Amino acid sequence: MRITEQAKQDNRAAILKAAGELFAEKGFESTTTRDIALRAGLAVGTMFNYFPSKETMAMSMVNEALLAGVADYNALRSGAEELGEELFLFIACGLRRLQPMHAFIGPVLEKSLSPFQKKATCAEGNSAREAHLGAIGGIITGHGHLPAPDFLAVHLYWSLYLGILAFWSRDESPHQDATKAVIDYSLTLFVNMLDPTDPGAAEELP
Amino acid sequence: MSPAQPSPNPGNHKARCDAKPLTAEELELFARLSRQQIPTGALTRLWAVGSTQARISMTYLAAWLRSGFSDQEEKERLRGEAHLAAGLKLLATMGYLRGAVMKVGQILANLPEVVPEEIAETLGALHFEAQPMHYAMVREVFLDELGHAPEAIFAEFDKKAFAAASLGQVHRARLRSGEEVAVKVQYPHMARTIKADLANLRFLLKPLTRARDWQCLREGLRDVEEMLGREADYRQEAQFCRAAGQLFAAEADGVVIPKVYEQFSSRKILTMDYLPGLHLKDFLATDPPQAARDHYAELLATVSLRFYYRGHCLFADPHPGNFLFMPDGRLGVVDFGCTREFTEREWQLQSDLEEAFFAGDTPTIRRLIAETCYLDPGEDDLSDTLSCALAWQLEPMISEGLFDWSDGEFFRRGVAIYGELIRKRLTRGMPHYIWTNRFLFGFRAISYRLRGRNAFAERHRLEKGSAGRDLSA
Repeated sequence: MRITEQAKQDNRAAILKAAGELFAEKGFESTTTRDIALRAGLAVGTMFNYFPSKETMAMSMVNEALLAGVADYNALRSGAEELGEELFLFIACGLRRLQPMHAFIGPVLEKSLSPFQKKATCAEGNSAREAHLGAIGGIITGHGHLPAPDFLAVHLYWSLYLGILAFWSRDESPHQDATKAVIDYSLTLFVNMLDPTDPGAAEELP
Repeated sequence: MSPAQPSPNPGNHKARCDAKPLTAEELELFARLSRQQIPTGALTRLWAVGSTQARISMTYLAAWLRSGFSDQEEKERLRGEAHLAAGLKLLATMGYLRGAVMKVGQILANLPEVVPEEIAETLGALHFEAQPMHYAMVREVFLDELGHAPEAIFAEFDKKAFAAASLGQVHRARLRSGEEVAVKVQYPHMARTIKADLANLRFLLKPLTRARDWQCLREGLRDVEEMLGREADYRQEAQFCRAAGQLFAAEADGVVIPKVYEQFSSRKILTMDYLPGLHLKDFLATDPPQAARDHYAELLATVSLRFYYRGHCLFADPHPGNFLFMPDGRLGVVDFGCTREFTEREWQLQSDLEEAFFAGDTPTIRRLIAETCYLDPGEDDLSDTLSCALAWQLEPMISEGLFDWSDGEFFRRGVAIYGELIRKRLTRGMPHYIWTNRFLFGFRAISYRLRGRNAFAERHRLEKGSAGRDLSA
């Protein structure tokens, strides 16, 4: 039987909703694909037509959250931000959208975004990485720091960003306050690395 | 100001003490530790420990450590010194420790400055600085604390901060109801970082555990930690601000305490009336006439004495940034984060000591000094110096007529007496002395820079004459 595009969208949304609820309730590792299918009201086989694994489901959620974060960033950006502030805004918008997944997303990010993997373990993880770095490249070049983000800068940025994600996923401070300080300090270091002569965003106040 | 200049203040009650100069070794150690490598360049802003003040405080750590060991323990001393040198390097990498270092420096030394000329300048910048926040960070704090971005709450919000504040920064804004406000925003994660930094500091101070006054230092640190913890909760400050407003309710006082807007405040955001006016440095740049200087010296005296006698508390962070010289001649007082209330026992001891001094009751003075500074029987030498310090503290209260705060000789005597206490390695004392010294030197330093005069003894009688009340009541 053929199903409509709308029905496909609905099924996909139902799977992600069920997965999100179960990951939050039971944790990522303890949730099985069978649990998810049951909660979504679909056959396990049908579910695999949409997502080959629960990692893919989780990373799809991450991708959607990060996309929403990009939309927030675009809406909030004034164009007058210094490089450090703009990078902060970009990362903070993404993390705010990821917030509902904070309790369970750590292991997923570790598996899907690990810099130790030679080949991407999950296409969604790869696309998250490419989309994020593409946007960052745009921000950096927009500030005229580099004609195009070179390999070293991208590698350093990605390492910092993964460090921030890892810190955030374990951060139990209220509102993940500690992460905000970590992002701020990390980005100041990164911006200083790009241009050591730049006085940076940190301006002395009276 | 040369030492040969005569004092303009009445000389009948001068506190004198035979202060000895520092030894050559101590001076050399100070100089060496003052040259400790501090990160420079762009990172200086990140690791905010590179100030002269912090370095001065650190040298006290060294001096105290040095004097804590006898000659027979030379080896131990050197080991401790090496540990301290390493510690200082580590301190330079602690993000937010500057304020804590300064406060600890005060515990150790009971005096944050070395020479009179430095008193005013150094205390002028004595406050805890966080890294400045850009607007994206400020917005995050708002979203977490109040659930909305500043632009959704205020009719106008200046994205650029106009001043640094305790643990954060201050932005100008306008409420939708029209009031001009100052919004204090705290840097994220400050409270916990302070806690962690103080834990690190305790570790660094380990070599001092063998020193005689360790227990006392530990008590002092606990008090500092408690105060910093309170300073990191702006709701406590809002409470003090409201209570202070009641202390200065009368128009005739000429003192303005800003109103707090509860609905736009939280643990990390404090919205208050914006007070127009100049900070001390800008006010002095207008070359004010002596009458204006005297007027503000009187208001400063009113503020300090009223907090003390009617509020039973200390406005313990009296740095110039917390006072506004308003265009209509009033004095604005802001930032109540560092307000230390006396316990009943502390208040009683303070009052008894003061009464004994005014009554010239030397045996009671000595008994109370021994009790509050934990002196052992036979420590008469320390008791003498502490009596000198007390006399210097209370001297303006018994000097009839105009007291001239620009009197360099008065300050030099104070510094000599406190220097003598350092030399004699007296760092014992009840924890509230950290704050009374900070309060005393802070207000006096501002009055000194202002070069104002006022009938302090008369103001003292007026403020003391009113029945006291607990600020928290």
